[in-house]
Amino acid sequence: MKIITQSPTAISEAVKILKAGGLVIAPSDTVYGVLVDAQNNKAVEKLIAFKNRPIGKPISVFVENRRMMVENVRISSLQQALLDQLLPGPFTVILDSKHRVHPLLESEKGTLGIRLIDYPFIHQLIKVFGKPLSATSANLSGRPPHYSVESLLREFSQAKKSMIDLVIDAGVLPRNKPSTIIDLTSSKLKILRHGNINLKDLKTYISNTPLETEAIAQLIVKKSLVLSKKKPLIYILEGEMGVGKTIFVKGVGRLFDINDIISPTFVISYEYVINSKEINKLVHCDFFNIEEPEEFKHLGLEQYLVPGNILFIEWGEKGGDLYEMLKNKAHLIHIKMKYGKNKEREIIL
Amino acid sequence: MIILSIDTSADETSCAITEGRKVLSNVIFSQIMLHAKWGGIFPTVAKRAHEERIDQVVEECLKKAKLTMKQIDFIAVTQGPGLAIALEIGIKKAKELSLKYNKKIISVNHLEGHIYSSFVQNKKGNPPRHFTFPFLSLVLSGGHTEIVLLKDHVTYEVLGETLDDASGEALDKAAKMLGLGYPGGPVIERLAKEVNNKEFYPFPRPMLKSGNLLFSFSGLKTSLFYFLKKLKEKDKALLIRQIASSYQEAVFDTIIKKTESAIRSTKISNLAVGGGVIANMHLRFLFRKLIDKYKGSVIFPSQKYLTGDNAAMIGVVAYYKAKKNMFVTNIENFGRIPRFHLTKST
Repeated sequence: MKIITQSPTAISEAVKILKAGGLVIAPSDTVYGVLVDAQNNKAVEKLIAFKNRPIGKPISVFVENRRMMVENVRISSLQQALLDQLLPGPFTVILDSKHRVHPLLESEKGTLGIRLIDYPFIHQLIKVFGKPLSATSANLSGRPPHYSVESLLREFSQAKKSMIDLVIDAGVLPRNKPSTIIDLTSSKLKILRHGNINLKDLKTYISNTPLETEAIAQLIVKKSLVLSKKKPLIYILEGEMGVGKTIFVKGVGRLFDINDIISPTFVISYEYVINSKEINKLVHCDFFNIEEPEEFKHLGLEQYLVPGNILFIEWGEKGGDLYEMLKNKAHLIHIKMKYGKNKEREIIL
Repeated sequence: MIILSIDTSADETSCAITEGRKVLSNVIFSQIMLHAKWGGIFPTVAKRAHEERIDQVVEECLKKAKLTMKQIDFIAVTQGPGLAIALEIGIKKAKELSLKYNKKIISVNHLEGHIYSSFVQNKKGNPPRHFTFPFLSLVLSGGHTEIVLLKDHVTYEVLGETLDDASGEALDKAAKMLGLGYPGGPVIERLAKEVNNKEFYPFPRPMLKSGNLLFSFSGLKTSLFYFLKKLKEKDKALLIRQIASSYQEAVFDTIIKKTESAIRSTKISNLAVGGGVIANMHLRFLFRKLIDKYKGSVIFPSQKYLTGDNAAMIGVVAYYKAKKNMFVTNIENFGRIPRFHLTKST
């Protein structure tokens, strides 16, 4: 077993091991995972032995892009539409396998869990390697996943350690849960495992903690960011007091290294300058203290309506006619936040 | 040293003339009447009002002090934090005066103003109060909640701040949820006093176990939301004093406990508290009680207008900055910083 730190040169080393049917432990956007060549019988059998995985329990695979996805699973036009809405994101989707990978990775029904990964290291690794890789957490079956190399090595016996060929160390990972697993093979979308980002349906995210609200916000905004090149983006946030509207914007701020977002209620709007290629300014507004529609005529948001700016409007439901006016000058994205039955929140696109 | 200062960070257009810590004149064109109708400030309206009033406010201020621009040594202005379009008006005016009368500009952070507000004196130099470094300052207002350590003039170490809502905002929003007016702080204070500031319902004290000096009031807001949802409309009206008092107590107790942690960790028990929330007499009482326990001292702004937004406190900060030769060097590039941090203002 060799331990190296995560770096561009680590990729060629990992590729060498994978080609030889070896077992690589690497970081991901969720937890540390075990990577093997999904099409190499010996490698997959070694993986299953390593994890003490009961035979018949499937293991998902990572793919580089949509093309590699299509090579490995059947996608109907309906499923295609669902995927367009879901991806990219921390989701593993289950679809009918084309049986290009080792059968032990598939379920008894012949389905395969597949994850289009955008975590740079693994993404680049698959690109160079050219084939799907196993996507399973680096822990023994039934045990919790690991966020650091130190903690996972503590779990493994000497015999297990001798099965590992290479460990890529990226330090302590943020405590993101494993991906959400969504079964797309039946007519109704089914969630098999809840991860950091949970869905009720394609338009409704479920958050149980402020951190999850932040993660959902990041996912939603990341997907729409490309639109801001031509027109500014306006996210209209609706929802009752304390539902998490400011938390939502705080999450987005972290995407751009802005860590000091606070409620703009008192001043009505705060402006944040972003040092990124795509985005110039993040404007955080709050209509809480506005009561008469008359006032919108004088709102003065126009100065921010240029491409490259993103605006968030809390208490956006008070905007009313304002949006008719803004419709042509900006992309409007409505987000509704609701209190759920227990303490959870629904975030509806 | 005579300084003319301008503050247009949020909803007040204010100008002051100060000499050292003494206020020769202070004019605030309060838009509070405007807002009473709307329940808050409103960017363009506030901006237009600032724009319309700024000349008049500056003029009035000079007249009250019986001074002309020639007798002014420096111009001070709030650079942030605040509403961009409101800050712009004050800065534009400061630049205009600077150019016309060839005066240097001093940039002041609005929060610095609140920190120094307890040391602002009237024309006669009262209250005399002396600075005893180091001391802890709390800024508790509608837009801010901070605990700051000062070891010397105009040097700041932010020990704690809010992650979401400000303490004053927490009270304003509760008032709104209870169907009371804006600003909500004074109404809640009055209702709470009618039931002797007692606690009837236990609302949470957010972040007390966080082990740091950060504040978060959004969860408290959520708990009031859930509490009110369970109540019948009729009961809400009947119990409004009890609810207001309990909620106020949760906000204040959080502030006091965090302050106590700050006192313990820094071993500093001299406090200066500023901002609109400290206009509340019950909170002043709680601070005095806390300070007795640690044999320290606490001071508050000596006049009510000094708890709100005003230019006089900006002028007093500017005096200490001028003594340290801290002037704006590139006036042309001098612009507003809507999210201006205290640590970046020295």
